[in-house]
Amino acid sequence: MGSPCEVLVDGGSGAQADEVSAAVAQEAWRIEDKFSRYLEGNIIHAVNTAAGRPVEVDPETASLIDFARTLYEISNGRFDITSGVLRTVWTFDGSARLPAQDAIDQVRGRVGWHRATWESPLLTLEPGMEIDLGGIGKEFAVDRCAALARDATPLATMINFGGDLAVTGPRAGRETWKVGIEGPELDAAEKVVELRQGALATSGDARRFLLRQGVRYSHILDPRTGWPVPNAPSSVTVAADTCTQAGMLSTLAMLQGGQAERFLEEQGVLYWCRR
Amino acid sequence: MRNKIAVISLMLVCAGCSSMGVQPWEREVLAREEMQLTVDPVEAATDDHIYFSKEASSGGRGFGGGGCGCN
Amino acid sequence: MAGVGVTDMQKPGKTAERSVSATLAAATCALLGTTVAAPVDAQEEPKWGFNTSLLYYGEDEDRVQDASFKSMVRRLFADDRTLSLGLTVDALTGATPSGAIRQDGPQTFTRPSGNDSYTVPAGDLPLDDTFRDTRVAITAGWQQPAGEMGLLSVGLSASSEYDYLHTGLNASYAHDFNNRNTTVSAGVSFASDSIEPVGGAPIPLTGMLDVDDTSNRLGDQDKDVLDVVFGVTQVITRNLVVQANYSFSQSDGYLNNPYKFLSLVDGVTGDTLPRIPGPEGGPGGQFLFESRPDERTQHSLYAQAKYYLNGNVIDASYRFMTDDWEIDSHTLDLRYRWPLGATSYLEPHLRYYTQSEAEFYRLSLDSSQALPQFASSDYRLGNFDAITAGLKFGWKTRNDNDMSVRVEWYTQSGTVPTAQLIGNQAARDNYPDLNALIVQFSYRFSR
Repeated sequence: MGSPCEVLVDGGSGAQADEVSAAVAQEAWRIEDKFSRYLEGNIIHAVNTAAGRPVEVDPETASLIDFARTLYEISNGRFDITSGVLRTVWTFDGSARLPAQDAIDQVRGRVGWHRATWESPLLTLEPGMEIDLGGIGKEFAVDRCAALARDATPLATMINFGGDLAVTGPRAGRETWKVGIEGPELDAAEKVVELRQGALATSGDARRFLLRQGVRYSHILDPRTGWPVPNAPSSVTVAADTCTQAGMLSTLAMLQGGQAERFLEEQGVLYWCRR
Repeated sequence: MRNKIAVISLMLVCAGCSSMGVQPWEREVLAREEMQLTVDPVEAATDDHIYFSKEASSGGRGFGGGGCGCN
Repeated sequence: MAGVGVTDMQKPGKTAERSVSATLAAATCALLGTTVAAPVDAQEEPKWGFNTSLLYYGEDEDRVQDASFKSMVRRLFADDRTLSLGLTVDALTGATPSGAIRQDGPQTFTRPSGNDSYTVPAGDLPLDDTFRDTRVAITAGWQQPAGEMGLLSVGLSASSEYDYLHTGLNASYAHDFNNRNTTVSAGVSFASDSIEPVGGAPIPLTGMLDVDDTSNRLGDQDKDVLDVVFGVTQVITRNLVVQANYSFSQSDGYLNNPYKFLSLVDGVTGDTLPRIPGPEGGPGGQFLFESRPDERTQHSLYAQAKYYLNGNVIDASYRFMTDDWEIDSHTLDLRYRWPLGATSYLEPHLRYYTQSEAEFYRLSLDSSQALPQFASSDYRLGNFDAITAGLKFGWKTRNDNDMSVRVEWYTQSGTVPTAQLIGNQAARDNYPDLNALIVQFSYRFSR
């Protein structure tokens, strides 16, 4: 998952905890192997190297693509699983090196869900296009693993994959899970969230940006323009019923740029926005 | 001399301590509210005050309470 | 800069925008192939903590009654810094033993104010029934981390009664070692109190005078108290934590109780020497105001252990105190917290206390001997045992506030050293035993 992953079990024995974490780890690795765009031989690799031919996908992949299509629609095209190739021209290393508009335009021709043909279970991409489920996969894995943990043990469990997390219920005695939201200085938890039920997810990375002539370019790219979303918050954390919902709401909020807070207010969710 | 003994015995206590204790992830019981040394400070202050005004000894857990003309 | 938004889940948004989260919820449901997950229950860690209690303390036989209100407010700031403010209001009434011994006949005393007298029936323990006061006390404390492993606390306290004013300062520092399994702490507190007794502070060992005679009264008095505490807290196992403290307390100044006096008795019969009251009225016996040293040094050792046993918590502590007034005391305190279901508990409490008498404790003063330099018949400086037995019931309300009610009985029984009993005193009940009921209701919540 590209980040430290942990499973916390409230109470019980070491053996019980080992059992739950083994089941969770197995599921997490299965999802990573299946949907990572860095691995050869998986379904993503097959789709991305099909060179214009239709690829038949399995039901689980199909449900993720259905989900991605819904997000594309409700975000008016801002959330797009085909936008990953934009990263071939954008490198967010804190420098002032912006790509040339020509280069951006060239890549933009290979971006856009409207160019894909999705007739479940057949997915056809134009040659040169790629999909990346990385924006959904981690949160999806957290929810899948939380469901597994709920079946494996009656003890309250927290699944935490690099800060995107879900709990299966309140700890013994209705105690809360306490989650710190990092402040600008590493390790200093600026806000502490008490969680009994549900999930938290964070989008954004304060360390990935470009800075040129006083303008800060966040690493959140708008696939419709090929440029970073202006005035995006440096991070957004959302609490929701599931990690998938929390993650998508925080991502959609980032894509709203300067309107992120307004968007979250309208969704009526508990959130923490850092600028 | 007495000070030296006190310092030495404190060092011995500390040396003994370093082999005791738990790892940070083993604190789920110790972190519980009812395992704190003083669970309810208001109740503790009430008791300190009652016993300060009825007995010749006070404090021990913390400062000696007091601050009243009841003794 | 961080903005925080907390909005009501039911708040109606624009339908078009609301549909984002509704559509997302439906899509997530389809994706995860599960029925709707339980709704999220999350909140920011509360910044305010309120802890309020109402206390009734009542001694039997119309002795001291106290109705007390206590409240503590805590405000949590970023980086674990905490401000706490406390308020206590006590309304005290009732009677306290004056220090005089029982007699076969009625006894008349001048009131502490000096402008009236009162009579105690034959055979009764002389009580001063003018005890009536309102005490208001405030505390303020600030706590913050000091470096990676340190915690610094500073505090102020002040209290005011009709005849007593207290101001105090305190500071302490705690340092964690050894993976935070060991905490070493040191603290110091200084109090400066002033005593303004009703009718003025009597000159020690002078006699109780007639009504309106204030010739043996002094002005206001002062007292300073310095406390120093050193402590070590050690985590032993996942279920056991122990603490040991040493404390030192030095009091200087006026340490008498201005309202307490001793009977001056006949060296053979042990009965109070008679006195002829003046025309304005006054005591019918001879009584001398108590005299305590103007300095007191106390040392105490305190040890506490908390052990978690299958959901139950055993809390045991022991304290040994010794001072240069030659009082030694031992205190043993046991609490057992026994959960009833997930959200309530019962906690029986037992406390045993025993102390030896002060070197200058006297039941009465023998007129056939030279007067000692120091003497007090205050029962709290005598030899006694005390037992507290109580039961507390605590529960969490539906919105996760903590409530508790406890009922405790406190009983003291003391003995006067046989060597101090003179003549008729041996046949009388000399020690004012005490029985008190304590009822406290506490309510804690966070926002």
